[in-house]
Amino acid sequence: MTAPPVKLRLKILSDPANLAAVRLAIEALCQENGMKKEASDEVGLCVNEALANVIRHAYNKAANRPIEITAEFRDDAVRIAIRDWGNGVNPEKLPPQPYDPLRPGGLGLICLLKMMNHVQFTPQPDGMLLEMTRNK
Amino acid sequence: MPELPTNQIVPTARLDGDTIIAAVRGEIDLHNSPALRTALLGAVNKYHPKKIILNLDLVPYMDSSAIAVLVETLQKLRKIGGKVVLTNLQPRVKGLLEIARLNTVFVLVADEAEAMKA
Repeated sequence: MTAPPVKLRLKILSDPANLAAVRLAIEALCQENGMKKEASDEVGLCVNEALANVIRHAYNKAANRPIEITAEFRDDAVRIAIRDWGNGVNPEKLPPQPYDPLRPGGLGLICLLKMMNHVQFTPQPDGMLLEMTRNK
Repeated sequence: MPELPTNQIVPTARLDGDTIIAAVRGEIDLHNSPALRTALLGAVNKYHPKKIILNLDLVPYMDSSAIAVLVETLQKLRKIGGKVVLTNLQPRVKGLLEIARLNTVFVLVADEAEAMKA
């Protein structure tokens, strides 16, 4: 018998003070569903980086804008969706620039693409939906 | 050995010749990385060290905003031929430095004794 999916839904404001609590909640969900610590740590980092990008870029550092996060464990994978109502810029569509470790910017997206099995940005009429999946 | 100003995220810092030796503490993300930046760049601007040794033993987690502060500090020191040495790295922090391809840019050593020789 397949266990029912475990789902987490969080609504936060775009205040950096909220990042740690969301990251820790996602990491706990992953570990409670049998994901190894190293993998759940990576998922947590990716959620942190995705939210930080929303705060910095989509909301231009405004601390009072909404962000919705859902995380669901299903079919031995965690599926995470992050919805914002910001400027709708798709970071994957920006002109590619060679990564220079000594220049700021770009590391968050690199983490997402390296650590998650699936990453998809879907522009919305009023913002952006980021969906990410990491297999167990 | 003069003690330097500290804050919650840099609980200890001292000057030894032209080297600053500081401990960093806590999980560092976009929320508190500005405090790390203030502490590190403030010390660099005030004391003009040739080397900064950062003991990261009490840092179980950092994100790209914290990495950016370390890089900015390194850039400041490189302008005067200085360097940043990171010690006592926890696996999660070391892993992120490797992904950022910064593990060969910073000097990474096991402990402060080794850092003094680096």
